[in-house]
Amino acid sequence: MRITAQAKSETRHRILEVAADLFRTKGFESTTTRDVAQAAGIATGTLFNYFATKETIVTELAAEALARARKQFEKAEPSETFEEALFALVAIELRQLRPSRKYIAPMLETALSPLAAGQRNEPGEELRVRHLEMVVSLAHSHGFGELSPVALQLYWTLYTGALAFWAKDRSPKQEDTLALLDESLAMFAAWLADSANETKRSNGSNNTE
Amino acid sequence: MPASLPELIAALPHEEESEEPGQPGLSDALERVAMRPVPVGRFRRLRLLGTLQAQIAVAYLFHWLRGWFKSADENKRLLAETHWRTALRVLNSMSYLRGAVMKAGQMLANFPDIAPRAFVETLERLHFDAPPMHWSLLREMVHNELGDDPENVFAEFDKRAFAAASLGQVHRARLQTGEQVAVKIQYPGIARTIREDFRNLFPFLLPARLSNDWENTKDQFEDLRLRIEAETDYVQEAANLEKVRALFREEDGIVVPRVYREFSTARVLTMDWIDGVHMDDYLARNPSQEERNEFARKMLRAWYRILFTGRMLYADFHPGNFLFLPDGRLGLIDFGFMLHYEGEEWEIMRRMDRALTTGRRDDRIAAIKEWSNTTDEEPERIRLMEEFADWCWRSRYCGGEFDFGDEADFRRGVDLFTEMVRKRYSRARPSTPTVSRHQFGWRSIYYRLKAKIDVRPICEEEVKATGWDRSEYAA
Repeated sequence: MRITAQAKSETRHRILEVAADLFRTKGFESTTTRDVAQAAGIATGTLFNYFATKETIVTELAAEALARARKQFEKAEPSETFEEALFALVAIELRQLRPSRKYIAPMLETALSPLAAGQRNEPGEELRVRHLEMVVSLAHSHGFGELSPVALQLYWTLYTGALAFWAKDRSPKQEDTLALLDESLAMFAAWLADSANETKRSNGSNNTE
Repeated sequence: MPASLPELIAALPHEEESEEPGQPGLSDALERVAMRPVPVGRFRRLRLLGTLQAQIAVAYLFHWLRGWFKSADENKRLLAETHWRTALRVLNSMSYLRGAVMKAGQMLANFPDIAPRAFVETLERLHFDAPPMHWSLLREMVHNELGDDPENVFAEFDKRAFAAASLGQVHRARLQTGEQVAVKIQYPGIARTIREDFRNLFPFLLPARLSNDWENTKDQFEDLRLRIEAETDYVQEAANLEKVRALFREEDGIVVPRVYREFSTARVLTMDWIDGVHMDDYLARNPSQEERNEFARKMLRAWYRILFTGRMLYADFHPGNFLFLPDGRLGLIDFGFMLHYEGEEWEIMRRMDRALTTGRRDDRIAAIKEWSNTTDEEPERIRLMEEFADWCWRSRYCGGEFDFGDEADFRRGVDLFTEMVRKRYSRARPSTPTVSRHQFGWRSIYYRLKAKIDVRPICEEEVKATGWDRSEYAA
């Protein structure tokens, strides 16, 4: 029997939905792939046709939340400064990720960690690229040229660091994450502006020589 | 003598060798900050506020603390300095501090010996120049606290802050129901962090027992710590506002903003917008003597009403906390810092009142002895404190028009206070630094207003309104 594309997409959607529920109520660690399959009304073997691991499910849940965040961000009013725009982008993402905050940490460690370069899983890599593309385009619209690989790596480290902090933030309404994010992004934007000025200055002095 | 910055740097406890590699020593860092103009970038300024400026504040504090150990034996001094080093390290680890530096500065302002005017002014400026929260951050804070974005919670919300508050900033807004409001929003996590850090810091600053006066200084620091906690708590401030607001009627011409509880939390305080100007702007218009006197009378009435009927002291008698309205009314804002008098505290205030009212020297001395736990065995101490009390209270018990703009008189008070600090006569009730701050606060506002008013009748009216019978004073 052939399974239609629509049925496939529905099953996939159902798996994600029940998995999110289970992770939230039972916790990520104590939820097994069997639990997920059972709740979705499919065989465990069938589940693996859709998602290879539990971590992939979480990454996919995060990817969906982040895609929603990006759509919202694109509709929102543009920010005055680069630093503020970055803050707005991450803040919208965090709002979307909030329901999955409790179980998102393992995903951050495996899929997004700057240390996992070369061994990233595909959805994780896609998340990274999508987000960085957004950052590059924001940098562009705020008058910065191309971002160097160093700049991107620095940004990614700050970003995933903030996410990791957020996942474990025990302050009321995770307000400490907001402060951390504010400082980190201010630092990044200031560093970027400084290096841009540096480049201009050295170009200028080259010209006079 | 107020110490110069290089002297203070030289007096700082030495850093231990275990300092993190690559980190310049504290004294180097302080020296560099003393030499260089303050950079203007947001990030750099934040860093400076986070560590170096705070360390300067602490350098002054150490300078003052050290004085206590001049005659102590070597062991005690070493022990104290070990504690201070730890305190420095704790301080180094505080990465925010834009609110706390100001608090430290205000605290030091009570000790002119170590906090020369320039220092206090610098701290005040730092406070007002503190880097703002941008709109994106603000939105998240409002969303976190009030459950939705500012543009949905309010009918209008001004994206630009109109004032910096000690822990955040104030925005103008309009409620869906039409009221104009001021919304005070805290920088995320700052109040909690300040409270925790000060709780960690104070035990290290107060390492030893050397004398009665020293022990008492500890109590006063502890009192300040408690006040810092109160001041960083918007819930407490909202309660103070409501309590004070209930004390005034329309005919008083004194306006206290209403709190909108449904739009207030521990981090957000929403209250009536008061359309007035601050003292500098008011004075720039060259108001007449009588107009200035009238504002001075209203300030006095506010103070006494809050004291006698409300049993609280409006401790933050600071120009930034008063608004001058075009129709002559006086606005009171900012109620973070209030002393509440209950039980024994209130009884002591009542006993002090006798000396303030009769003006008899004997009453004054009795009051001083009780307030600062002093006996006849310390005649010099009593002499000096009596003179200072006379300076503080004279306008009240003499009655008649008092010229608060008299520079020589104002200077006399400052000199007397400085002398007491130099002689380390600090033994007194724990709330003394707050009361002194209040004393100098209102006197310097009146000095700048060049007020010429009769204090006594206002006080008598306010006492009478409480039904307090003071006929026994006549005896």
